[in-house]
Amino acid sequence: MLLSTVIFLPLLGVIAIALLRGLGASAIKGIALAIGLITFVISLGLYTGFNADTATFQLGGTPIEWISGLGISYHIGIDGISLWLVLLTTFLTPICILAAWNSVEKGLSGFMMSLLALETGMLGVFCSLDLFLFFVFWESMLIPMYFLIGIWGGERRIYATVKFVLYTMAGSALMLVGILVLYFQNDNSFDLTTLSGPFEHSDLLFLAFFVAFAIKVPLFPFHTWLPDAHVEAPTVGSVILAGVLLKMGTYGIIRFCLPLFPDAAEKFTPLIVPLAVIGIIYGALVAMVQPDLKKLVAYSSVSHLGFVVLGLFSKNPAGLQGSVLQMINHGLSTGALFLLVGMIYERRHSRMIVDFGGLSKRMPIFATVFMIVTLSSIGLPGLNGFVGEFMILFGSFVQGAFSKIYVVFATAGVILAAVYMLWMFQRVMFGTLDKANEGLPDLNAREIVVMLPLLLFIVWIGVYPKPFLNKMEKSVDLVVTKVQAAPAMGQLEKGVPAGTKLALRKTEHEQSEKEANTK
Amino acid sequence: MPIEINWQLLMPELVIALTLLIVLVFDLFDSISKTVLGWMTIVGAAIALWVSIQMHQAGTVGTQFNEMFKVDNFSLFFNMIFLVSTILVVLISMSYLDRGDRKQGPYYLLILLATLGMMLMAAGNELIIVFLGLELMSLSLYVLAGYFRENPASSEAGMKYLLLGAFASAFFLYGIALIYGGAGTTSIPAIAEKITAESSSPLLLAGMFLMVVGFGFKVAIVPFHQWAPDVYEGAPTTIAAFISAGPKAAGFAAFLRIFMEALPNLQTEWSGVLILLAMLTMTVGNVIAIAQTNIKRMLAYSSIAHAGYVLIGLAAANNDGISSAMLYLLIYCVMNIGAFGVVILAKTEDGESLMISDYAGLGTRKPLLAMFMSVMLLSLAGFPPTAGFVGKFYIFKAAIGAGHIWLVIIGAVNTAISAFYYLRVVVTMYMREPEEELEFSPYASTLVVGLIIAAVGVLLIGILPSLMLTPAQNSVF
Repeated sequence: MLLSTVIFLPLLGVIAIALLRGLGASAIKGIALAIGLITFVISLGLYTGFNADTATFQLGGTPIEWISGLGISYHIGIDGISLWLVLLTTFLTPICILAAWNSVEKGLSGFMMSLLALETGMLGVFCSLDLFLFFVFWESMLIPMYFLIGIWGGERRIYATVKFVLYTMAGSALMLVGILVLYFQNDNSFDLTTLSGPFEHSDLLFLAFFVAFAIKVPLFPFHTWLPDAHVEAPTVGSVILAGVLLKMGTYGIIRFCLPLFPDAAEKFTPLIVPLAVIGIIYGALVAMVQPDLKKLVAYSSVSHLGFVVLGLFSKNPAGLQGSVLQMINHGLSTGALFLLVGMIYERRHSRMIVDFGGLSKRMPIFATVFMIVTLSSIGLPGLNGFVGEFMILFGSFVQGAFSKIYVVFATAGVILAAVYMLWMFQRVMFGTLDKANEGLPDLNAREIVVMLPLLLFIVWIGVYPKPFLNKMEKSVDLVVTKVQAAPAMGQLEKGVPAGTKLALRKTEHEQSEKEANTK
Repeated sequence: MPIEINWQLLMPELVIALTLLIVLVFDLFDSISKTVLGWMTIVGAAIALWVSIQMHQAGTVGTQFNEMFKVDNFSLFFNMIFLVSTILVVLISMSYLDRGDRKQGPYYLLILLATLGMMLMAAGNELIIVFLGLELMSLSLYVLAGYFRENPASSEAGMKYLLLGAFASAFFLYGIALIYGGAGTTSIPAIAEKITAESSSPLLLAGMFLMVVGFGFKVAIVPFHQWAPDVYEGAPTTIAAFISAGPKAAGFAAFLRIFMEALPNLQTEWSGVLILLAMLTMTVGNVIAIAQTNIKRMLAYSSIAHAGYVLIGLAAANNDGISSAMLYLLIYCVMNIGAFGVVILAKTEDGESLMISDYAGLGTRKPLLAMFMSVMLLSLAGFPPTAGFVGKFYIFKAAIGAGHIWLVIIGAVNTAISAFYYLRVVVTMYMREPEEELEFSPYASTLVVGLIIAAVGVLLIGILPSLMLTPAQNSVF
């Protein structure tokens, strides 16, 4: 019941705004913010009510039969992985509403309605335990995002929004086929919790799901929609896009691709890991030469999400935990970066790096916040980015299921990130102050309120990540167990004694856990 | 031998026939306002609909007239589709006819005649009855397509439809003749008994494929679709909506009845052909729709593409396939008539504003209308939580159950392609500034009621699919 409330409360807000839109702009904003905040507060109940000692899905209540003729039920629940993504979503939405306070000129009610409808869609994706339900949320979430970019976006917004929708739909079309094929192999049921392999045609099924998620992540070479969408989207759209939407791709991989099709995941790892590493390096190199701040942040997302995918395919607890943590971190840091870029754009109506310089003299608070967020994005120890990236690289290097050379290249991505972020920071904040920028005001109280919660968590996760890792540990371990069973099974078929290999992996596994704990 | 007539079994048809006569008589009196005729049509159709639903729930089964006419849940479910389409079309027609000061009596009469023809097609247990129903429907539609005599486009549409439709009827009749030659009977159950997989002769196969061609024309399957865009564009918009809904469903009803019930033993022969036609129809319909600038032509090609989706259900040829095709036809009728309803509202006095670009800025100037249109278009594109998604999902599920994975992959890719042109209209409505002001006819209450029914239906079936899915699943022969 609690979970359903969290999912559908924003939808209630949509209806409320639709009915009360005549009351004027401040009422609409007030309703939206109130709904966003109440949803967040209620979702905190999920955190306290969540039992971290088990990997089962919880808090969803009993499944309700929905379309009995097709074996579809309204079945929701969260585990330690989705818990964090749900909280990230409910956390970012009110921040976005507050950030958009004065920047929406036309169609305010539509904007807020889209934002809240989007929240319901995103939460639904993370909580669905029925494949049909998952797909319904996955697809319906496209529509509000489509409007957000298409109506309130920049100059090339129509091109960007259509590209975004078509890319996603092309991927999800194949996923739909995959879901239906799974249905017939699961005793005519769409229930995720009863799904257990091995499945027939698991290679093709894996690809059907993976391509849909890879487009969403986006993994190189499916990333071309991302810079367009980010640059054209309104600030808030970019925050949600980077903060939550991209995570749906990585969430899908960890929820479906890895545990359901471990054989196929093993088989395609040599293909996917290089793509992830190329994404890391390529995203960083392209970000380096961007003249546009927003585009730079957009390409940095490609790079960061490459790390997440790398960690997922390391298939060990450290790597996976790092990946999940990095999903949250990326949502916080990149969300914050987009908000900051949006704030400066509202003042100067330019996002070109050359137009700025010396801002730190004129806007000290802005510069400080920007510095913290930049360092978090780079992965400075003590801030959140470091913990996630370190765990991913550690997991991949020590016992990744792939060659260490990839990890070496990925680590180079960390250095490149420092280069492009710090260079950008230097060009924007230091040097001579342009005349046009002399009148720029510093952050006002509302903007500080918007940024403070983000900064709080950026520091918190950096200094003390344990509560975050504790809650997800069991669920991540379950995924790891499922995915590690695969190669052993593959070996068994080939006639190689499976026991030895399994035992070997297990000791490795325990060792790394100890190491992770001591760290 | 006296024929015992079970009047109860014929209730829906009788109600429509009676309404038809009443409308015919009342049309003679000039003193009666002609909108009354429209209301009579609606009331008649609503009663027939109610009766059909009652009979469907009771699970009525029976045959009449020497087993030539068969009432079962299958025919009753199709009755619902036809009658819902008829009611919606009449609702959106009333103000449309008023606007042009058109003669209304014959219009409603022909619509009722066509509806009766469709109901005969779905209930035909005999190829000749199916043909009679087909002709009753088609002849009425030819006249309706050319109803605006003084408009050359409408006349052209009527003429074109007549010529190509007559060809199709001839093909169909020829097919019946050959099947009679092969099986020695035209009764559907008798044919099924006579024909076994071993006894398939070239004569029968030729007859079967001629029937596919005939049906292909009627329901606008590629490569027999050329008439559709021209007729849709030229015909009165309400009639374009009508042709794309009920008659298409009726064609598929007869298609299902004949192929699933009379020729199931030849399934290996026809299902391959249907798979090929389905792929071709979806792809051609959707790809050409992308290039359209006229909204009626776009909807025409979209209607072709949707026939392709229904064909997937037919090609699956299992129980799920049949009920998914039926469910999809119902959903399609509602959402398509809804979309045409908006087109009617947006049409100016001189009838010249059918370009998609004319819809620019509708989102800000007519937010409610734009919202209606968006719901219909998103449903046509198959986005959840609308009915269009449920329909497509069920069809795909049926086909995967029958093992046609490639067919479904092509269908799913086509869904993504179709999203492009449906969303383009949404883009135009919400994201582009108008170049010049488009005049709108004032909201007529009947039209608004029609739109609301369509929108509620689309959303309700989308959110609670069991409402219609269970009846559809109970309607397989």
